[in-house]
Amino acid sequence: MLIEIKNLKKIYNQKTVVDIPSLSINEGELIGLVGNNGAGKTTLFRLFLDLIRADEGVVLSKGNDVSKDDNWKSYTGSYLDEGFLIDYLTPEEYFQFIAEINNISQSTLVERIKPFKEIFNDEVLNKGKYIRDLSKGNKNKVGIAAAMLIQPELLILDEPFANLDPTTQIRLKKLISEIKARDVTIIISSHDLNHVTEVCDRIILLEKGIVIKDSEKTEGTLKELENYFTV
Amino acid sequence: MKSFLTKLFPGKDPVLVFNGFILYYFLADFLMRVQLQELPTLSVKPYLTVNLSKKTIIKFLNLRSFFTFFNLLPIFIFLPFVFISIAPISGSLSAMAYTLIVLSLAIFNNFLILYIKRKAGSNGFIILFGVAAMLILAALDYFNIISISHISGLLFSYISHHPLWSLIFILLPVSIVGINSKYLRNNLYLEEISKKEVAKVSTDYPFLNRFGHTGRLVALELKLILRHKRSKSALTMSFLFVLYGLLFYKKQLIDKNSFGSLLFAAIFMTGIFQIVYGQFMYAWQSSHFDGLLTSPVTAKDFLRAKFLMFTLAATLVTMVTFFYGFISWKLILLHLCVYLYNIGFGTVIVLYFACYNRKRLDLTKAASFNWQGVGASQWLLGIPLLLMPFLIYLPFGIYDLPFWGIISIGLFGLITLAMREIWLNLLTRLFIKQRYKIAEGFREH
Repeated sequence: MLIEIKNLKKIYNQKTVVDIPSLSINEGELIGLVGNNGAGKTTLFRLFLDLIRADEGVVLSKGNDVSKDDNWKSYTGSYLDEGFLIDYLTPEEYFQFIAEINNISQSTLVERIKPFKEIFNDEVLNKGKYIRDLSKGNKNKVGIAAAMLIQPELLILDEPFANLDPTTQIRLKKLISEIKARDVTIIISSHDLNHVTEVCDRIILLEKGIVIKDSEKTEGTLKELENYFTV
Repeated sequence: MKSFLTKLFPGKDPVLVFNGFILYYFLADFLMRVQLQELPTLSVKPYLTVNLSKKTIIKFLNLRSFFTFFNLLPIFIFLPFVFISIAPISGSLSAMAYTLIVLSLAIFNNFLILYIKRKAGSNGFIILFGVAAMLILAALDYFNIISISHISGLLFSYISHHPLWSLIFILLPVSIVGINSKYLRNNLYLEEISKKEVAKVSTDYPFLNRFGHTGRLVALELKLILRHKRSKSALTMSFLFVLYGLLFYKKQLIDKNSFGSLLFAAIFMTGIFQIVYGQFMYAWQSSHFDGLLTSPVTAKDFLRAKFLMFTLAATLVTMVTFFYGFISWKLILLHLCVYLYNIGFGTVIVLYFACYNRKRLDLTKAASFNWQGVGASQWLLGIPLLLMPFLIYLPFGIYDLPFWGIISIGLFGLITLAMREIWLNLLTRLFIKQRYKIAEGFREH
């Protein structure tokens, strides 16, 4: 078991936004988190990454409480939003920085950047631009690449397909499948049900902070989800 | 102002001094505007696509540019004097003439700056050129080759006798507004008004690599400082403040060893970077704070980098201030002691207060007169930082042991510096405790 949640609760202004009594995630799972806006997806991610304080309960990563022990940072790659990007750096500098603080050598970095060439589509590297001057989609690509660069055991991506053009979406799905083959645990959220049901093996559906469906993906999953979201 | 002028230039007619001063002021005003006045261009974006004629938009742009501090300043400085001191002597007509000229010059400067900035983008050379021109003029003035104050004096004495001639000055603002509007009319496309992009290059500071993770974080922050207007102006200010001592260090004070009166300037000069940059500490990084928290950078390394950065900055500035040694060797000693205090104790104070600062800074916004992110904790910071050395110095000052006083300050700094590891642990604990609140504050737009 890689991640284990126990009695997790997050309350904002007397409103419970996350309330999960128990949930476990195993090594090598590829999980899709779905739910409407305000369902608590990003809040849950932030709790995984110890960016907000849980009002009750704990998130355990490899058995350690993420809010007490920093060890998870060495094997967790994440990209939630632009708040993760150091936007006054060039993409090259940013990757370099990420590599350095993770003790990845220059030559390894060059090697690990290669698989992203296709996704970057010549719009990211060596453009003489700071990250802040890139388009939303390209910023997204930089963030995702940085999260994958450290070859994490756990990868957390919030809305990775947003702002990407169709070609890149397909390339990204391919890349995620490749990474999964290395037994990496991946958790992604998306508003696009097609993407999630296509790549993920397990779907967790959140509503108002509560898990209302958690099951392996089957043939009928997409249909089921579509029925749920049709109001 | 009249009494102020009489005091400053005893035995001279304040009106003559005033006349001589006006052109000087507008020269200085020009330089200040070059540095600080912002272009009102970006705000035009939403209007370009709606049903408004270009003429209206240009009028709007021109009108908007009036609302700046620099246009108010001359009104406050000159007009009271004009009405109180000049009107009774030379009559209300010449007072009106003065007013007209002052306003014309202010508006002329206003639009001249906008025109130059629009044409040249933010080219640093203009500022250098301006400062150089100003210095040359001042030097020419000083050596009586040409005299601006004389010209200014002559001009305004003439105007006060022949006020109608002041109408000519209206041509200045009218023509520059015309030139500006014409330029805008021909170039009212977003990509042309907004600044031209220069290709950005990746940089590396090999010198800092030897400090490991800490050095890398310092390099990161150094880039932050150099690549944003607001932080860059904090840096420029630090170096300009090095001249602050010239105002404060009076010969009698140094001869009498009254270090108590020199202390303030000394702390300010050597510790200015800590105060100006440190007061917004961690908020500079608010836009990527989440990224830092999830990275394997430990809180301790993060704080250690801050210490290192402040130490490097203070060392550099203090070394520059050693030129005061030409005035007296005592000043070098004073600066050295205060420097130790700043890096030993000052850094701790700054980082302590930083843990209670939760206001996001948006670094993409303008640099000058931007009060975003300013709150009570920033002003609190200065109190202990500036007060402490005085408290240490006070008993020695009373018993007339000035040298022991400043050496005690230095010693205090040295002891606190030696305790850095202890401070580091305390601050790390505080930072870890406060991290959620800081991050939450930084996430709020």
